[in-house]
This record gives sequence, C-alpha cells and structure tokens, in this order.
Amino acid sequence: MLSALLRRELVTPLRRRRMIVFQIALATLFGLLIAARWPSDGQVALMGARSEEIFHLFSFGLMATLLLLFPVFPATSIVSEKKSGTLGLLLNSPLGPWRIFFGKLIAVLALAGMILAMSFPAAGACYSMGGLSLDQDLGKVYLLFVLVALQYAAIGLLVSSYAQSADSAIRITYGIVLVTSVLTLGPHYFFQGTGGSMADLGETLRCMSPLAALASLSGVEDVGSQGLMTKTDVMGRFTVWSLICTVVASVWTMSRLNHKIFDQSRAAGTMSDDLSTSGRFIRRMFFLVDPQKRSKGIPSFMNPVMVKEFRCRRFGRLHWLLRLVAICAVLSLGLTYATTAGTFDWGVETIGGIMVLMQVALIVLIAPSLSAGLLSVEREHGGWQLLQTTPMSIGRIIRGKLFSAILPLMLVLCATMPGYLVMAYIEPGMALQVRRVLICLALTAVFSMLVSAAVGCFFRRTAAAIATAYAVLLSICCLPLLIWMGRDAPFGHDTVETALSFSSIAAAFSVIQMPGFEHYDLIPTNWWLMGVASLISLLVMPAWAYRISRPQ
Amino acid sequence: MNMTAVSVEEESQVGSSAQEVLSIKNLTKRYGSFTALDDLTLTLNAGQILGLIGPNGAGKTTTIKVLVGLIRPTSGSAKIAGVDCVKEAMQVKRLVGYMPDKFGAYDNMRVREYLDFFGAAFDMPRSERAKRVPEVMELTGTDYMKDRFVESLSHGMQQRVGLARTLLHDPKVLILDEPVNGLDPQARIEMRDLLLELARQGKTLLVTSHILPELARICQQVAILTNGKLRAYGTVEEIGHSVSQRRTLEVQLGNANHLAVAAKVIRKSVEPEAEVVESPTEATVRFRTAQSEQNLGKILRRLVKVGVFVTQFREVQTDLEEAFMSFTQKDSKSARQELDSDPEFETDGAVTDA
Repeated sequence: MLSALLRRELVTPLRRRRMIVFQIALATLFGLLIAARWPSDGQVALMGARSEEIFHLFSFGLMATLLLLFPVFPATSIVSEKKSGTLGLLLNSPLGPWRIFFGKLIAVLALAGMILAMSFPAAGACYSMGGLSLDQDLGKVYLLFVLVALQYAAIGLLVSSYAQSADSAIRITYGIVLVTSVLTLGPHYFFQGTGGSMADLGETLRCMSPLAALASLSGVEDVGSQGLMTKTDVMGRFTVWSLICTVVASVWTMSRLNHKIFDQSRAAGTMSDDLSTSGRFIRRMFFLVDPQKRSKGIPSFMNPVMVKEFRCRRFGRLHWLLRLVAICAVLSLGLTYATTAGTFDWGVETIGGIMVLMQVALIVLIAPSLSAGLLSVEREHGGWQLLQTTPMSIGRIIRGKLFSAILPLMLVLCATMPGYLVMAYIEPGMALQVRRVLICLALTAVFSMLVSAAVGCFFRRTAAAIATAYAVLLSICCLPLLIWMGRDAPFGHDTVETALSFSSIAAAFSVIQMPGFEHYDLIPTNWWLMGVASLISLLVMPAWAYRISRPQ
Repeated sequence: MNMTAVSVEEESQVGSSAQEVLSIKNLTKRYGSFTALDDLTLTLNAGQILGLIGPNGAGKTTTIKVLVGLIRPTSGSAKIAGVDCVKEAMQVKRLVGYMPDKFGAYDNMRVREYLDFFGAAFDMPRSERAKRVPEVMELTGTDYMKDRFVESLSHGMQQRVGLARTLLHDPKVLILDEPVNGLDPQARIEMRDLLLELARQGKTLLVTSHILPELARICQQVAILTNGKLRAYGTVEEIGHSVSQRRTLEVQLGNANHLAVAAKVIRKSVEPEAEVVESPTEATVRFRTAQSEQNLGKILRRLVKVGVFVTQFREVQTDLEEAFMSFTQKDSKSARQELDSDPEFETDGAVTDA
C-alpha cells in the first residue's frame, strides 16, 4: 500500500513534461557553473584552491536551489489532496496516519534527492579537479543538504496539514524558510563580538540557519561576519536543530492526519455589529479596523475590483497591514532611539542596514503573495468568466488589481519612514543617502509586485503562480548575493558589481554604506534595470489578460 | 385528457408575450475540423422559458457562451433584444444575467459584499445598490445568509446567491447554466418556483439542465441539441408528438377480472402490430396506436358494451425524458452507422464497440 502511495506521489509528478525540463535545466545550470570556472591553463595548483573556490560557489548555488524550489512540494502535498477530496479517501482506507505521512515524506524527499542527483555530475567535476575530500568536503555538504531537505519537508507537510489553500501553504512555508535561513543570521551580524546575552542569542539563532552551517563547512566567512570567526560547532548545532524540527513536525503532522483535519465548522459569519456592547468594546480595543464590522457599499468613485481584492484577501484586510506597519514603525523608531541614546554602539549605517533588511524581507515576502495570484485566482475559481460578463473593461480590472497590491506595499514602505527621518535628523549629511535608499525601496516594491504579477499571470493555478513568483523574485534578489559571497575569490570586483546591479537589495545596502557593500557603485544602473524590468512586466499582465479574455 | 399535461399548460401560460427577445440565426461554431455548433436557429419571446437540453458535449454551453459574448461564432448571428451579441457585446452584458455552472466564489467575502461588488461592477451607484441588494436577496431567499462567507455556503445556497447576482442589474434575459444541478429535492422545487416567478415578472429565461422533469414543468419551449445540431424545438407536447405519431393510451379498470376481456377488445380494434400490455397489479391496459380520436371513442364504446368496468381512459404523455432518449439514441445510432459504413472501421470490432 505504501508503494502505491509512493507511486502516486512520486511517479505521477515525474511523468510531467515540465519535470523533465526542470531536471535538464538544473543539470545544465550546475554544469555551466563549473564550466565557467574550469581551468583554462595547462597548469593547476596542487593545493586545489581553485577547486575549493568552485565547490563553495557550487554548494551555495545548490543550497539556494534547494531552498527556493523544494519547499513548494511538501507545502502543497496535503492541502491539495484535502481540497480535491482525495485525502478523505486516503484516511478512509486501511492506511494509517503514519503510512500516509511517510508515503508523502519519502516522496518529497525523493524529489529533493532528484534535485541533488542532478548536481552529482558537477560535484564529480569539482572532485576530479583535486583538493577536495570525498568524506570531509563532499560527504558533509551533501549530508547538510539531506538534513535541510528533511527539515523543510517535515515543516512543509505540517504547514500543509493546517493550511486552507495551497497558496497560503506555500506562502507560510516560504516565510518559514526565509525566517529560518536568512533572518536568523541578522542578530549575529549586529551583536557579534559584543559579548553578553544578546550575542549568545544571536549565535544560537545563527546555528538554525542552513546557510551558516554551509558557510562553516566551506570555511568561508559568514554573510557579514565583519572579519570575526567563532569557534562554535555550527554544523553540529544545526544537525541537532534540524533533527528536532523534523521529529517534532513529523509527529505533529501525523497527529493531524485523522478526523481533526476535516473537523471544522463552516464560518458562522458573526458580525461585530450584532455583539453585545462589551463584545463590541473588546473588538474595538483589539482592532483598529474591525474586519467583522459590517462594511458599507463600495463607493461609486472607487475601483470595485480594488476593494474586492482588499476584502477577499485575509492578509489584505487592513487590520493586519496596520498591525504590521505599527510593528515596523515602532521597531525602526526604537532602533534609532537606542542608537541615539547610546544603548548600542552602532553606526547610522548599521541601523539603516537593519531597516533596509527588515523592509526588503517584508516586501519580498508579501509582494508575491499579494500580486502573483491576481489573475490565476480568478481563473482557478471561475471569477474571471464572471468579470468578463460585466461591463468592466480589462484595463479597469487590471488597474484595480494592481492598485490593491501596490497600496499595501507602499504602506509597508511608509512604516519605517519615522526611523529614516530621525536618522536624517541625527546626521543631516545623510539626507541624500536616505532619499536614495527610499527610492531603492520604492523601486524594489514596484519591481517585486510587477514581476510577481507578470510571472503569475501565466498560470491557471494560484499555488503554482505564487511558488514560481517566489522562486523568480528570490532568484533575482538573492542570487547576486551568492556572487557577492565569492567577492574575493573566484570573482573579481567588476563581476560582483555587475551581478549586484541586478539586485535591488544590494543597491539599497550599497547606498546605506552597509559593511561589505560600500565599495560597489550600483546606482543608477540598478534603478535603470529595475525600471525597465518593471515596465516590461507592467505590459505583460494586461497583454495576457486581453489574450485570455478575447472571445475565442 | 391528462391532469399532468393540464398543469404544465397552466404553468406555461405565465408571462407570455409576443415580443421576440432572443433570436439565434444559423449560428455555427467550429474549432478546426470539429463543429461544436451547427447552424442553430432559435427564437424566444419575452417572459418565456426555454430549456436547452442535450447530452454532454452537445453544444449547450457553446450556445450560451456565444450569447454572453465569451465565444465568437464562426458564422451566423445571435441577438438579444435586438442587440447583436458579437458586435455590441458590451451592451449585451447589461441586458443579460449569466449564471455559469461554476459559482465563482471569492474567499473571505460575505454574501452582501459579494453582491455589492457585482452591483458596482455593473456601474450601479451605491445608493441604488443599497436598495437593490436587499431586494434580490429577499427574492432569492438569501437574506438570512447575508453575513455568511460565500465560500462557506452549501451548493444550494451558492446557487441561490448566484441567481441573486444575475438579477442585480435587472437584466431582460437570464441565462442559467444548470441552475438546479446538485440541489436537494426541496431546493429544486424552490428554485423551480423562483424561475417561474421571474418569468411571471417578465424575465426571459434560457435554462440548461440534465434534470428533464424539472425543465418539463417550467419551460414553454424546449430545444434538444446533440452533436451541435438542433434535433427538436417546440413545446414539450410538440416534441413528444414529433418523436412518434403513435400515442400511448391507458385504460384503468374498476375490476381486475375484466383485464383479459379488455385486452382482447383492444387488440381487435387496433393495428395488428400494436403493443398491448396488461398490468394485473394496477388493473390497467396500456397500448400504443395511431388511431384517430373518433376510433378511440369507438374502442371505449366497445369496452363498455361488452361490460368492462372502465374508470379512466386517458392518453399517457410522451415525457421529455422519453423524447430526449429517442433523439440521442437516434443520433448515436446514426453515428454508429456512419462508423460501420466507413471502410477503415469495418474490420475493427474494437473500434465499433467503442
């Protein structure tokens, strides 16, 4: 029975043509990565330094691929079955929860194995160049990849068991991946070498990141390590952490695979207006904008599609955004105040770096979820056909949809405005820098939204649209940072600068003079690139909408 | 003669008017070599209900999509209230309320918000929507679920909300694709009453359904489509007669002992090949004949003369299901014959079976 489940979970996706294309593309990409740095001279250093450089780059590339592509498989595994009704059939079969769970886990791990297998020829090429140990270098790095796959497979399946839709499962899983792999590095960056509990906390959090574990295995500096090395066994700690995560998430998921997963009543549609006075008072205290308050009709001067988008997005409901904005505003002000009051011995650049990082992370996390499914959600649920039978023009529909995505992003941008203002007040000489950073962030928001919308419109299914948009956006924003990590070797200054010009995050970091980015001049090249890419994306979405709504 | 037929007739009288609202002329839609719709011609008057029936892939949805401007026909024309569905698609949208077979729910949207959105999409001012939304909710019986989330509604509730949505902008013509599909019997009766009420109010309805008895009860006109071709068009009675010139008659006896005598008299009076079926449990004799009304009177007189206790002598209507099966079977038979006559398929038994 388990083999039947495995066959369905694994063999069925592998039969798809896009999977074949994906595998070939992956193998080609890794091959090119090696070929680009393959020795062209007849002589090779016996120390194998060049081989190590290439292997480090290759291993970070493989890690990025794993983090960007793999989570979508476990994230959609249970929820898509729940939505299509086949999970009920599975639970009704003699298969127990553990067999269903392990069937799914093994299937998604096999997909991860496939991604890793595609890298074997490239890894073999690195090994053949010499200087690499099979068990100490290759073996350990691949062990790390297995641990990462195991951890995110278990977490993805857990999220999938709770999610109500495939796209929300993808969103949450990618959020967890982003937080555990990138944001956990933040505290260490800012508190390293300071001593005390904050430094210890930063160190502990860093060990949860697979990127830090990979950096420790490769012997390269952490991202923004500021020249300080630690003696902590990062790989050992990460192994413990990932195994704990895997076990906890697996047991938790198995406990969900029974009647509980369906045992939910339909929303009763309670309205705050119908509650008692005390009930209304309590809700008034907790919600700036109460989503359960009876809303008025859509004003005639407003684009109805924009209002509809706000209302039908759980995250888009204003109270969530206002909370988010409030948190960002308080954090940015708090950080600026702490520095001014001398609590932290940080420069203005460091504070700016934190705020930029915070905002970019929010934008990259929110933008695809807001805009990638703008068209596909309508097509998937039959709303597009209904919209076509109304007198609204395609242009008006698209405008409404884009405004509904850009407004929350602009709100997020405004959140850290008080912090930047205080920064400019402390150091008036930074006013120009702050202005440039704000332009970078605004461009990042617009670019992220438009690229996500353009990528997403090619898909009929929202989950696929959002997953692809995340992968594309994270690739554009983060892959140049991979090149930056090899800034001394194997890449030269010019190569790194050219690569960073494509990343809006890097541009914002360079403007704020964040350590490690201060030597790169990325403005205005980055602005031009972002502008052109945004413009192309802006044209793609309406063009595609016209195409799909033209009478056949 | 038949009580059921009378009630259908009574129900069919609602809102009839001579004004032609829907006009389809020689409508054809081809996808490459495949003809989805072949030279369809139909008309429908204001306040009437037209039932469009046919097996899956017959061309019903294609017809509907042409009417609402989602598909462009290869040739022919379709007009609603004189407005061309292809050339003046934007104007047609205001004249038509379209309810597709898929509901089109939006997550996290309450029923009232959902209707308000579609009202706004039809450019209705907010003040007008504030009046119209409660009106349509009351008409469709959805007012009690106004604060519920649309995605959490049952299928029957969603069908009602879907109907409320189509009524929002007060269209002249309602085009409803499978409105009673998946509804429980009570909801189906309520939906049927609602559609009749809308026809009474002067709306013209084009309805598709697979539940033929429902259509037979509400439709003035029925069109049967198979393989994109119009096979029959008219009232349920006309279609019944067009299936066969023979009528089915039933004699209800007051005494089951008279069954054999009655059957003998009937067999002598009708055509030799006519089928006469006795039912001892129901004490009835059923037969199919092409005899005239006068001859049927004579048969009755003979039965009475020989002492048969006749309590009822009635015509059994050819129902829509029978007519539908007759047309679709005829169509599949001819398709099979075409295949059989095709030399490529003659020797391949498996293909013929398929």
